[in-house]
Amino acid sequence: MKVTRREFLMLSGQAGAYLALSSCMGIDTKPVKEYVEDLKKIDKLKTAKQTTSLCYYCSVTCGLICSTDPKTGKIFNIEGDPDHPISEGALCAKGAAMLQTTELNEHRLTKVLYRAPYSDKWEPKPLDWAMMEIAKKVKALRDKDFILKNAKGQEVNRLESLAHMGSSKLDNEECWAITTMMRSLGLVQLDHQARV
Amino acid sequence: MSEGKSILVDTSRCTACRGCQVACKQWNQLPGTQTKNWGSYQNPADLSAQTWKLVRFAEGKKDNGKPYWYFFSDQCRHCIEPPCKATAGYEEAISQDAQTGAVIYSAKTSELNAKEIVDSCPYNIPRQDEKTKALFKCTMCLDRISNGQIPACVKSCPTGAMVFGDREEILEKAQKRVEQLKKTYPKAQAIDADTVRVIYIVTDDPSKYHQYAAS
Repeated sequence: MKVTRREFLMLSGQAGAYLALSSCMGIDTKPVKEYVEDLKKIDKLKTAKQTTSLCYYCSVTCGLICSTDPKTGKIFNIEGDPDHPISEGALCAKGAAMLQTTELNEHRLTKVLYRAPYSDKWEPKPLDWAMMEIAKKVKALRDKDFILKNAKGQEVNRLESLAHMGSSKLDNEECWAITTMMRSLGLVQLDHQARV
Repeated sequence: MSEGKSILVDTSRCTACRGCQVACKQWNQLPGTQTKNWGSYQNPADLSAQTWKLVRFAEGKKDNGKPYWYFFSDQCRHCIEPPCKATAGYEEAISQDAQTGAVIYSAKTSELNAKEIVDSCPYNIPRQDEKTKALFKCTMCLDRISNGQIPACVKSCPTGAMVFGDREEILEKAQKRVEQLKKTYPKAQAIDADTVRVIYIVTDDPSKYHQYAAS
């Protein structure tokens, strides 16, 4: 039975077709049957909602297919997208580990570590708290240092006391959103970890 | 059975990115293992019940004094006549899939003499799980290949070093590639191509790649 990926996707609900095929051939494949029955992942793949995405680890930006379980609404598998013109389904070790960035990864950090000024201790704090603290500091600094006009009296609307450091984990769209937001705050120093 | 499926691993195209190693873990939901720096990029240091695919790194000096650094993406060869299956003599534990030829270990491998099975493998592949006592190794992604997909490792390979297909087609590809490579590397060969389903192409003496690269 030769099936292309697209045809295969349409074969949903045919779980066990392989087993039926083996048993009608009169071959004793009992251990193999047990093995296949144990594996639910391939069956889940048949009914999964597929969403394309991109690997953000390097500038090649390989294509990904994220499979979401329609019952739980959670991603359970991520692999290369064979239809992607650049990567044609391939992924290196970093892209192949993309599933680790989902909540399936029990080792993923869910809290931030905060060290107060002059303190020598790290304290675990909720992410929401950290976001709010950063927002407060940005607001305070912008209110204090925002420059409306330069020495010549020209309108500049800039903030020189704050810089933004980007990351190679950002994809193109995230970079766009961040740049737009930072420019609207008046930031002129936007840089990237790869340059420092 | 000499038909079925095969995998070609052309080490001359491998850059040791280890995409295959991670894709295997990801698809088979195998946990990471505690490792330490032992002076090689080969990490983990060996196959285990949780690591069925491992890119081995070998370095040394060639006869002409020049250094070599060879990569060998090790996994079960899925032998045409598997010695492990013969040694076990217990179809419930070690069997061969009728359509693809994949050699499959079940949970019942825990009833076997693990040392005997591991020693019977010319490529030193099966590994025992300490808790369940069952043996584990690559499954050729039987679940995927029985459902019209290619194995996870082959799919991830960015350089095309790994190819999956019908055995005849893979044998033909291996032969052509070896002929091509022989012009530059006279020692190029497809390791044990007649007896295994996972065929490795090397450009030098197989033992330089890994102690158990060839049978």
